[in-house]
Amino acid sequence: MTSASPMHHRLKRWPGWIALIFVAVGFLAVGSTRDTGPLDPGDRVDAISRRIACPVCDGESVYESRNPASEAIRSAVREAVASGTVDDDGIIADIADAYGAQVLLVPRATGFDALVWALPVTAGVIGVVALWFAFRRWREESALVGPAEEDDYRIVAAAREQLASDDD
Amino acid sequence: MPALSVNAALGNAGLLVMLIAATVGAMSTALAIVGGNRRAVRQAPTFAWLIAGGAVVAVVMMQRALFARDYSIDFVQQVGSSTTPWLYNIAAMWSALEGSILLWVVVLAGFTAAVARRFRDRSDDDLVGWALVVMYVVCAFFALVSFGPASPFAPGPAIPVGFDGPGPNPLLQNHILVLFHPPILYLGYVGFTVPFAFAMAALITGRVGEGWLLETRRWALFSWGFLTIGILLGGWWSYEVLGWSGVWAWDPVENASFLPWLTGTAYIHSVLVQQRRGMLRVWNLSLLVATFSLTILGTFITRSGIVNSVHAFAAGEVDGYLLGFFAVVVVVALGLIGWRGDRLRAPGQMDSPVSREGAFLANNVIFSVFAFIVLLGTVFPLLVEVFQDRQTVVGAPYFDRLSMPIGLVLLFLMAVAPVLPWRKASTELLRDRLFWPAWCGAGALAITVVFGADGWAPLVAFGLGGFAGGAAGRQIVLATRRQGWRGLVGRANGGMFVHLGVILIAMAIAASNSYTHSATLVLAQGEEVAWAGHTFEFVEIVDELDDRVDVARANILVDRSKVYGPAVTTYIRQGMTVPTPSVRTGFVKDVYLTIDGNSPPAAGADTVTLRVFVKPLILWLWIGGAIMAIGTVLSAVPSKRHRRATDATSAPLREAVDVG
Repeated sequence: MTSASPMHHRLKRWPGWIALIFVAVGFLAVGSTRDTGPLDPGDRVDAISRRIACPVCDGESVYESRNPASEAIRSAVREAVASGTVDDDGIIADIADAYGAQVLLVPRATGFDALVWALPVTAGVIGVVALWFAFRRWREESALVGPAEEDDYRIVAAAREQLASDDD
Repeated sequence: MPALSVNAALGNAGLLVMLIAATVGAMSTALAIVGGNRRAVRQAPTFAWLIAGGAVVAVVMMQRALFARDYSIDFVQQVGSSTTPWLYNIAAMWSALEGSILLWVVVLAGFTAAVARRFRDRSDDDLVGWALVVMYVVCAFFALVSFGPASPFAPGPAIPVGFDGPGPNPLLQNHILVLFHPPILYLGYVGFTVPFAFAMAALITGRVGEGWLLETRRWALFSWGFLTIGILLGGWWSYEVLGWSGVWAWDPVENASFLPWLTGTAYIHSVLVQQRRGMLRVWNLSLLVATFSLTILGTFITRSGIVNSVHAFAAGEVDGYLLGFFAVVVVVALGLIGWRGDRLRAPGQMDSPVSREGAFLANNVIFSVFAFIVLLGTVFPLLVEVFQDRQTVVGAPYFDRLSMPIGLVLLFLMAVAPVLPWRKASTELLRDRLFWPAWCGAGALAITVVFGADGWAPLVAFGLGGFAGGAAGRQIVLATRRQGWRGLVGRANGGMFVHLGVILIAMAIAASNSYTHSATLVLAQGEEVAWAGHTFEFVEIVDELDDRVDVARANILVDRSKVYGPAVTTYIRQGMTVPTPSVRTGFVKDVYLTIDGNSPPAAGADTVTLRVFVKPLILWLWIGGAIMAIGTVLSAVPSKRHRRATDATSAPLREAVDVG
């Protein structure tokens, strides 16, 4: 990389980066906003049934399970999707009313269940704050040590020379 | 009660030898070190051979009992059958709890013997001596569990003449991967005992510098590699066997293997900071303790049955033992870290967050938060039950939702960290080094958009994946240009191959999670149905019957080119039906066919109902896994002929200042 041409070097300065940002944001905008047509009803049934637990088997979703109880829920979802009147969350809420909240694979964000959402966020915040404090402490400590002095450089240079002669 | 067989007698004897050797070995070695009896310290490795010998005898006897269908043994009554093919009969050992613990025992004994052999010339060294003591204690615990509450050789109840057992769970006898996935996973799980033992030894001896890290670097690396491959093989097994086209369900058992992987991954990164800068000593020790204790806790969670799991093939009464051992490990380890607190204080400082070590720290925070989320989600139903006395489930969508942002941040770090220098990076340097990797990211984004990808999250993942791939590629190109073939090996260069593998896996997950389509197709015989750009024609139902299974296979002509045969297999002994998918694998997408419902289609039926999934890029999961494995091996090869004195293992800052 050190033998790069001046042209190459200039390219890597801001113009190249600005072009990059335009390209990336442009493609991202096109890709994330374009209309890919209505979601296939089958895909919608899948997406919803992934969020519902099979009421009689351990730990499987309705999407995975082949149990008759899951099959019944799947057809209820299929009918609700076909009717086209209720959105995904509404369909899931109806199923939860019928079978109990224990069929919800995504815990609610209310009451005790809210902890399952709040604790990870808290953990993340604690992690970031701890890092910030650690770096602040290190910065203060290194300020106490002070910058390298002439003698320090001399020691390093001597060690390097010693090493080079060892290598030979 | 049937008479005790030779298999049971010798098997029990093997376990007893192991238990005694481990107990006596731990006590005598510890006493010898404390009492300064050098001759006895040098004897320490001998116990490892006894332990390994005992464990091997037990496993050989278990295999012999399974092959001889020795129904005097309870375990063989549960999982043995005269109809089980011989390969699955080998795997029958780990198809239930007692045999799984036996597998753990033999792998642990193997690692203990390997440590004794590797350090045989240094058995005089207290660090090695204490490490062996810790290994022996762990061996003694597992030998005790295997000899006592989870005995695979316990005599079974009386059986009628002509009795034949059911064989292993049908799901564990219909794919060859059951032979490899558990042993490889256990090599990873159990392997972390070695660095843990050396870490404890370092704390006990007070030699908390970087010596123990260097000694165990490769052990940790290989354990991590085996854990990675074991987890991926589990995903592959799920994909090939379970019939819902998924590789990962965030099931408690899967989470139990993922937790130590997360902390282990954090460890193999942050250990580089300690090797280079002599910092993060407490943190690295804590990560190792977390990794080792999570393997125990994970086994407890999944084997005690306190959390429901679809994988709960094995439930038993060892939970008290496991929980007790977990508590002892955590308390002793944290106590030792607290006791050595003064020696563990790091001598250096980090200058800037925008540096290699800063990136490693950020990586560690993210992996730790990730591990916390996985643990929380896994045990949360238990907490709800304890505090609110109601049932709840925390399922895959929860984990998917939280792991998505974490995955994106990790991809970003993978893009930036490899080009960062140690200590401090300038804006100019970053602008220069990240330029082409960033364009790789833009290129990947453009290509995926042109090929029709949509949705901001997968697109950001593809872009960051390209960015990270560019960064890894740049490092490999620079290193090989500088060092020739040696640019491909060593921890940094090999690590870049591991990154490339991880990136492929991340891309495969992003694509398959976002763009999988599925449909239920009812096919009439001879009629062709078109869906999602493919055609499906139901040819016939074929029935294959032997004395073990009845396979009803639906032959489906896909795209008028090749016949695929999803099947429903009825296991006659268990009366259980297992659907087996059939997959057309491709580099761009898989077409995954499975018969809908649980009941086998009738022979001669003129219609069949299929679940069909079209899943993009799944093959790259396995290719990525292979690249990760290769990268791990490359990382373990030394990159230089000898260590240079400038590769400081501790920051000599204070000494330098003192001299100055």
